[in-house]
Parts: sequence; C-alpha cells; structure tokens
Amino acid sequence: MRQSKLIGTLAVLPSFIIVAGFMAFPVMFALYISFTKTNGLTYEWRGLDNYIALLTDPIVHQVFLNNFKFLISVPLVIFAALVCSILLFEQFKGWKFFRVIFFLPNVLSVAVIGLIFRNAFGYDGAVNQFLALFGAEPKQFFIDSNYSIFIIILALVWSGFGYQSLLLLAGLTAINPAVFEAAAIDGAGWWRRLWSITLPNIRKVIGFVFIINILYTFASLFGFVFVITAGGPGYETTTIDFLVYLRAFSSNNLGSGAALAVVLFLFIGLMTLLQNRVFKLQKDD
Amino acid sequence: MSDSISSRLNPRAKWPIFIGMCLVAATIIYPLFFVVATSLRSNVDYKRDPFGLPSEWTIDNYLKLWNEYGVGRAFMNSLFVSLTSVTLILVFATLAGYALAKLPVFASKYFTATFVSVMLLPGPVLIIPIYLVLARLGIVGDYAGLILVYVATGLPFAIFFLTLTFRAIPDELLEAARVDGAGFYRTLWSIVRPMGGSGIATLAVLQFLGTWNELIFALILIPNAKMKLLTPTLSSIGKRFLTDQPLTSAGLFITAMVPLLLLAFASKYIMRGLQVGLSR
Repeated sequence: MRQSKLIGTLAVLPSFIIVAGFMAFPVMFALYISFTKTNGLTYEWRGLDNYIALLTDPIVHQVFLNNFKFLISVPLVIFAALVCSILLFEQFKGWKFFRVIFFLPNVLSVAVIGLIFRNAFGYDGAVNQFLALFGAEPKQFFIDSNYSIFIIILALVWSGFGYQSLLLLAGLTAINPAVFEAAAIDGAGWWRRLWSITLPNIRKVIGFVFIINILYTFASLFGFVFVITAGGPGYETTTIDFLVYLRAFSSNNLGSGAALAVVLFLFIGLMTLLQNRVFKLQKDD
Repeated sequence: MSDSISSRLNPRAKWPIFIGMCLVAATIIYPLFFVVATSLRSNVDYKRDPFGLPSEWTIDNYLKLWNEYGVGRAFMNSLFVSLTSVTLILVFATLAGYALAKLPVFASKYFTATFVSVMLLPGPVLIIPIYLVLARLGIVGDYAGLILVYVATGLPFAIFFLTLTFRAIPDELLEAARVDGAGFYRTLWSIVRPMGGSGIATLAVLQFLGTWNELIFALILIPNAKMKLLTPTLSSIGKRFLTDQPLTSAGLFITAMVPLLLLAFASKYIMRGLQVGLSR
C-alpha cells in the first residue's frame, strides 16, 4: 500500500511541477511585478503606485468602457443559441448533421474567424461589394469605432452561437420527457410548454452560458481585436486583455501591465465565485 | 422516443423548422464557401465579380503563399509544435489522471485543487510573467518554451478529463491485473490505455485543436520570422495584403483546413468532449 502510494504520487508529480512552475508560479509572479517598476531586469518596489496610476489613467477608463460595450454580444449570442437549441430539440430529420455544422466555427482559430470578418468588411470586401450592387459607395468601416465594435460583436455572435446552442441542447435533452408528455395530455400547447416547462428547466444551463459569455468578453477578445482592428481607431476597440498585451510589449514598465492583468484576474475570479454561488443556490431550491 | 417527439410539436410544423435551420446553417457555411471560392481565383477576377464563381480557377495563391511567403514553413512549424505538445500532454495527463482516479496519492486533495484552480486562468494574466520566466530560463524564441507553455496550460483540463474517464474503469479489472502480477506501467498500457481509449482520443483531438489555433503565446514567444507558427503568420499576411483578398483567403483556408479535416473525420470524439466541457 505504501509502495503504491509512492508510485501514485510520482505519477502525478511531473504534471504538478509543470503546472505549478508555468501557471501557478507565474500568477504569483505577476502579483509581485504589479507592485514594482520593472523593465524585466531590475525590479524597484513601488507599492500600490501602479494600481493608483491605473485608476487615474483615462485610457484604462476607456478600455473598461469598451469591454462593457462588447457585453452587447452576450444577450445576442444567448438569444440566437436559445432559438437554435429549441428548434434542434425537435429532432427533425438530419438534426445530428446540423449539430456538426453549428459546431464548425468552434474548431477554427480566432485568427481565422477574425480575418474572415476583417476581409468581409474590408474596402474591397464582400460587404462593400454587396452594397455596390445597390449603387452604394464603398465604406471604410474600420475608421469608424461604432462599425468596428459592431463587426467584432458580429464575429463573436457568429462564432459563439452554435457551440452554445449545443450546450443548451444538452440541457434540454436532460429534461425528463415524461414531463412534456404529461403537459401535452393536459392540453398545453407548444408555446405554453416552452414557457412553463422547457425554459424553466434549463435556466441553470442558461445561467452557465451567460457567465461564460461574460468571462469570454472580458478575457478572450484578444484574438479578435488583434486581427480585426488592432485596437483602433485610437483605443476605441481596445479591450482589457489587449491593453495588457500593448502595455507589456510597448512600454518600459511591465509593472503597469501586470497590475492591469491582476485587476482582470480578480474580476474574473469574482465572476467565477459568483457563478459557483448562483449554481449552489439553484441546487438548493 | 419517437412517441415523445411527436408529442412535442405537430409534425407538419417540422418543415418550417427544417428550412429555418438550413438558413441558419447557411450563415455558417456560406462565408466559408466564399473564402474557398475566392482563394481559387486571381485578384482581378475577384474584383470583377466577387459573388460569382471564378471565371478561371487557379491555385496560384496557394503556391505563392506556401513557397514565397513562408506559409509552408509555418504550417510545418505549427504541426511540429502541436504534435509535440499534444503527445506530452497525453503522456503526463494519462499518468496523473490514472493515479488520481485509481491509486492512493499523498495529499491528492491538494494536487487536484491546484489543477482545478488554474484551469480557468485567462491567458492575458499569464503573458507578462510567463514571458519573464521564460526569458530568465533563456528559452524565449525557442520552441521548448512555447511547448512548455502549451503543455502547462493544457494539462489542468486534460488531467480533469482523464481522471473522470479512468474512474469508469472497473476496479475488479485492475485488481485482476494486480493479482496476475502486472506492475504500474503494464496495467497502464494493457488495461487503462485500451479501456480509456476513446477518452484519450477525444482529449488528443481537443488539445490539438487548442494548440493549432492558439494565437497570443505563439505571437509573443516566437519573434524569429523563420520559426513563426501558422496563426501569427496568417494574421501578418492579413495585415500586409489588405487589398488582395484572394491571397489572404488562401491563407485562411490553409490554416482552417486541418481543424476542418479533424471535424470531418473525428466529429464523434469532438462531440463527446463537448459534454464534458459542460460538466466543467
């Protein structure tokens, strides 16, 4: 028994060392860096200076505001996913094939999806060419911040709704079919069953999808922003994660970028806790 | 089952749903079709009639990208880095997953807690400290550093996934192997590997997609142009050739081709991974 305990531990150890060394330690290190002024070679302790600087930095304010603008994508994605999942749940002919199609954007890199949208809205891209069929002059979409934000949101919705409709579908399939049958026997129509049975039964999954969408808009827009707009015009489409990247590799104080990363990390941790809390509450009732 | 389905909705209502779903599917398929069609024509031909089919089909864009703009090299680099990372992840995660699922482990709670707590760590938090750590180790710009990062970021989910998979293996089977005198590696190879085979395959596909598609770390950890991976190469081509959509489309298709092939041939495994993604 002791022998096998040693073997078991040795089997976990390589993974643990790698994860501790290249994920857990870097997070602690980021926390330390955020209290210093550093160029990566020398570290000068500055206490909370970097954080105070963030609070008064107008660019940081704008970037946080941008992130909130991107939250518009959340209800759009969820609504599209919900409609698709409810329709897929009817299990018409070939619905399994549709499942694979809907999953398709999910296997593509953000670089690929981003560039598809950048191309489509480019000066000689498909959208301008299409508008030209109606005699419209080609537009420079990316010099206008409203269009730029809209295009990134569109990319988010396009690439996200399929996967999330499959998550919701998994929730729907978990509902006991007897409940539907009983309701049908009682004479409840399709819409009635949708409101009183289907939606309430998957509210947990909807909650889960809601949270992952919010986390995604705060921590994973880097790829889209980098490829589609590079943060421009100005800082109008720069998100927090993209600003971390900009600060990290273009300024001489990595501490400032690290402080921003820590703030982002705390925010995401808070959201995750909130998610766990919400799910626990729902388990109880 | 067919009974409960017909009780949900009038069968006549299924046709409109089917057509609606076809339209939704078209919003996914058409952009990809457009990319492929555009990539197979010259820029002049594209500008003449962007929505029609090419008047003359050509693979010039692919040849130009592959041979002159370093896409061929980047493709091979990405393949090398992805395959190496996935192999390492599978080896380490199988060992750890098996131990956590079936063997007594010292302080196993703390190991599991470490893996779970870093699982949802967002990439942006890591870029500065990882860059500095790798710089200190002298492996920035080296595939070793990038592969280490991919293995470290992939492992937590991989271990979680395989622990769940291996838990389903009946204890009697492992016990029988032990009575027969099979040691740790022998049990792992002849029982755990085949019994958890489809789980391991699912994980391999998911992790491959993850590393093949990754952008941030590939971008910042490999500055050398000759060693660049495919996703950063693609995004710089997209920025350089704004006015040559057929050329960038070819780059898009080259990058998307590998994941699409995987989806076509391993959709069973990918769909299975999806369910576990939910339980996370």
